Amino acid sequence: MFSHIFLYKLKSIVRDRNLMFWTLMFPILLSVLFWMAFSNLTKGEAFRDIKIAVINDAAYKENANFDKALSYVSADNKDRLFNVTYTTMDSAKKLLKDGQIEGYIYFNNGLNLTVKNSGINESIIKEFLDYYVQTSSTASTIITENPSAIYGSLAKDLTQKVQYLKEVPAGNANPDTVVAYFYTLIAMTCLYGSFWGQKEVSDIQANQSYVGARVNVAPTHKLKVFSISMLAAITVQLIEIFALLLFLIFVLKINFGSQIGYIVLTCFVGTLTGVTFGALISAIVTKKEGIKIAIIIGGSMIMSFLSGMMYAGIKTIISRNLPALSYINPANLIADSFYSLYYYSGHEHYFINTLLLCAFTLLFSFLTYIILRRQKYASI
Amino acid sequence: MVIKVENLVKRYGDLIALDHFNVEVQEGEILGLLGPNGSGKTTAINCILSLLKYDKGSIEIFGRPMSPSAYDIKRNIGIIMQNVAVFEELTVYENIDYFCGLYVTDKSHRKMLVDEAIDFVGLNDFRKFYPKKLSGGLLRRLNIACGIAHKPKLIILDEPTVAVDPQSRNNILEGILKLNKDGSTVVYTSHYMEEVEHICSRIVIMDKGKTIASGTNDELKSMIKSGEKITIEIFNFNAKILSDLKNMKNIVSCEFADNHLIVKSMRGENNLMVLLEYLKSNNIAFGKIYSEPPTLNDVFLEITGKELRD
Ligand SMILES: Nc1ncnc2c1ncn2[C@@H]1O[C@H](COP(=O)(O)OP(=O)(O)O)[C@@H](O)[C@H]1O
Ligand SMILES: [Mg+2]
Repeated sequence: MFSHIFLYKLKSIVRDRNLMFWTLMFPILLSVLFWMAFSNLTKGEAFRDIKIAVINDAAYKENANFDKALSYVSADNKDRLFNVTYTTMDSAKKLLKDGQIEGYIYFNNGLNLTVKNSGINESIIKEFLDYYVQTSSTASTIITENPSAIYGSLAKDLTQKVQYLKEVPAGNANPDTVVAYFYTLIAMTCLYGSFWGQKEVSDIQANQSYVGARVNVAPTHKLKVFSISMLAAITVQLIEIFALLLFLIFVLKINFGSQIGYIVLTCFVGTLTGVTFGALISAIVTKKEGIKIAIIIGGSMIMSFLSGMMYAGIKTIISRNLPALSYINPANLIADSFYSLYYYSGHEHYFINTLLLCAFTLLFSFLTYIILRRQKYASI
Repeated sequence: MVIKVENLVKRYGDLIALDHFNVEVQEGEILGLLGPNGSGKTTAINCILSLLKYDKGSIEIFGRPMSPSAYDIKRNIGIIMQNVAVFEELTVYENIDYFCGLYVTDKSHRKMLVDEAIDFVGLNDFRKFYPKKLSGGLLRRLNIACGIAHKPKLIILDEPTVAVDPQSRNNILEGILKLNKDGSTVVYTSHYMEEVEHICSRIVIMDKGKTIASGTNDELKSMIKSGEKITIEIFNFNAKILSDLKNMKNIVSCEFADNHLIVKSMRGENNLMVLLEYLKSNNIAFGKIYSEPPTLNDVFLEITGKELRD
């Protein structure tokens, strides 16, 4: 009996294209969107070299060491920092004015740099010049003979710095914020398990679906059929969550830190909370499926929003002004579990969240049981 | 006694859907529950199946009180609800197997039963089809197969032929007769009197949640005053014919429309003969003549004062 119901339920769940989209494809698509929005720089379009000009006059030609250093970092390879135009003062001024270059370098009582704006690229140029000035006195021989010894690591450092700076969205955000957005995305996906819970309840209730009526007239306890169906639903949702997790870790290369075991545990408990939440909604709201789906989507979105999915700051605002809300919002509890793994060295905060999630799961299951236990209906 | 329902009362708020409804179903019969839409047929079936709470009354099946957990009773019932109840994501075969599996746990026995059910409703060519791909009639047949695959002793069908093409309808009606011949007791609800007349060995006529008459087809028809309905094609009609006929004994009503004279007679013999003699002796030329025995609609009309069909 168990495997009969379980296997058929698995089949009918996996073949439900509509819900498979919402519970699997939608979160993956959303994660790709997040990823594109948050990380402008990826392997494909790595750091672009910075266009600069050098005034190629007699003073410049006297500084052969600088020329060597510059030609090393502007050599056409993957570590290339600068794309250099050698030209006169007048045309360099014009290039800068037209935005063709970010700045120009000339010798006049030492090294000089003229730039138009101040930005990442400009500070890179400056950093390079400072570095040259610092090292040239002590290491001029090395530069002359083997520029890569010094500038090899400089070029790498600077490239990475640019990438790092560009990955951070505007404002005072730091890279952790980006990961936090993915935490809330996982939390939302856990809550989307509600779809399956909703479906299983409606499939068992004679006043909600025709197949429900069929189950109710069969000589098998409806709660038995229901429990097995819920197990199938939870199984599928867990597989979907872990597929998302693998996608985030291995395809998008999101760094979730080292405590993957705890992350898996949170996904597991979060899935149970999501599926039982949907079951409860479905048991209470006996209306049409469309209305229930709307409640579930709306509810999950609001909870995910309040845990910081669209705007990371909201989480802080709530924990400051309405701390109770962050403890009764399952999405926040899930996201916050991940968060606490990242931020706190101990696991106390993490376990409080997990226990609260378990408590919610039990509460949702119990209330659902109270409603489903009734075997006769007042109206069908 | 397979089913015994006594004084069943079911209210939906202020509406009384079943008003001291009584019915008894004997082993081996095909009982027809006939009534217009909204007369309470589905409500009665759902109460009998312990799906619906009811306000009053008692229900026994196979001599034992029916309840939601009376699994030994439920095991021997097959239900075909008025709405198609199948999973969209499962194929024809899988649907039947899934529901049959709630009754029969032995896998190889079940496989045989499912194959027989598919054969029975003629869905062999559609085993791997999803319900969405089936026409209305084939879907109804799948619905029936899901309800009867476990070979129940009692089969309850609630309007199984609504919105079905004539071919599937015949397939369904013949199927029901065959199931009955193979030993199943059948309860069949419908608002189509032709179907009920055709297949049912006993008929209960319902209106407004009450039984208004019951008996065999012939018994019901002999309860009422009106006998056959005679239709005669007449080419040169005059008003005198109508008044003459109305004065004749045994004639209940007569009217003329579209070149046809429609005469309803009382029950009894020789009504047609008397009529023809009148036409002959008055030299009235006539064309085609039809005579129809009374229908269940006439029974319903006479008891309730309204037509059965809507
Ligand atoms: N769930 C319900 N809520 C309120 N009234 C209902 C409900 N189901 C049926 N009814 C009413 O009960 C009466 C009997 O309905 P039903 O049993 O479906 O009739 P039938 O099957 O003979 O067409 C109708 O008047 C119908 O409107
Ligand atoms: Mg009905």
